[in-house]
Amino acid sequence: MKKFRSNSSGQLLIVAALAIAILIASTTLYVYELSKEKTGAGPPAMNDFILAVKQNTRKALISALANFSNGGENTVLTEDLSEFAQVLISLKVPGVYKLTYTVLNSSGYENGFRLSWNTNNIGSSSAYANFTLEAYEIPSNITLQYAVNITTTVTLQGSYTLTGTEKNVTLTCKVFNEEEPSLAKNITVYYEDAGSWIQANASNNLIITNYGNGTYTINFTVQTSSNVLQVSAHVYDLRGIFTRVNATCSSA
Amino acid sequence: MKNQNKGQIRIIEAFLAVLIIFSAFAVSANLTVSQKETRHNELAALGLQTLMKLDSDGNLSCLIDSGDWFSLREALKLALPSGVVFNLTVYNEQMQQVNTEVISNGAFSSQDIAFIEYLCTSENPVFRCYILHLYLGVAS
Repeated sequence: MKKFRSNSSGQLLIVAALAIAILIASTTLYVYELSKEKTGAGPPAMNDFILAVKQNTRKALISALANFSNGGENTVLTEDLSEFAQVLISLKVPGVYKLTYTVLNSSGYENGFRLSWNTNNIGSSSAYANFTLEAYEIPSNITLQYAVNITTTVTLQGSYTLTGTEKNVTLTCKVFNEEEPSLAKNITVYYEDAGSWIQANASNNLIITNYGNGTYTINFTVQTSSNVLQVSAHVYDLRGIFTRVNATCSSA
Repeated sequence: MKNQNKGQIRIIEAFLAVLIIFSAFAVSANLTVSQKETRHNELAALGLQTLMKLDSDGNLSCLIDSGDWFSLREALKLALPSGVVFNLTVYNEQMQQVNTEVISNGAFSSQDIAFIEYLCTSENPVFRCYILHLYLGVAS
């Protein structure tokens, strides 16, 4: 027994060292994994950057539609997107991001825009574009195709009651951004009298009530001889997109 | 012969034992390095997500368009966790600096600084692209 101990003491030293080494390594690994789990380490920010690009293409469409609906050129969307794609490719972020786009030229759209302001009771301003985003970053390449549609829709309905020769007009105006109720920045109301459009103002006792949910009630008084009253609302949404909507009011 | 070599073998065995323990320390040190790298990536992701959050409702571009650098600094202070030092520079498409004031909450004291480049477009009818350079560090 004594002889065996004497011969094996060196090997025992190595075995002990090995055990200590494993203990050190496993403890460090455990602490590392634990801290990684706690802080929630994720992959590099490629996905976040793609989301940021998508978010900004949407903003580019909003900007272009605000410009065009306020009387800008109908080439503005193509120009803005071209500028955006050029700046994107010149960025010094890890990886290469290439954005290509097609503006819609069908279904009433021209150069990506459609202004539908002449239908009774509903008016809309829209912009639409298709995008392909190619992201090259080691170790993964992603090609993402998506479409962005920006639409501001306004509905207008109303009637009037007669008080002597005066018409008390009550209108209900609803504003939507991408079919979701939205607030308006400004609403201007016009009525037609003898073939010309006149802006309703304080002299018409104009009151616009905001219900805070995208619905507005507009009250004003007018003195016109015709039985049918044509009204029009010019609406700017919070994004600065302009939409016009007409309605015909008859006696309630 | 056996007795003569016994001492040398002990030395070799002791050397091997030391080598094993040192290799354990070496592995542990490498793990710490990769942990630092993870922290750096986390800081970069945090910066990008913060800018995206501020940009999601158009506030970021609105503050830049109006040149409200004070509010932008305050918004970043609120959006980033305490203990994170930032320095933001806003450039236009020609890479000319737009911000006329320093947008920062202090000096960097650590060597580990994350850099985030972000492209921000304006929702205004006059379209503008801004390139944001955000540096983030952890205050010591």
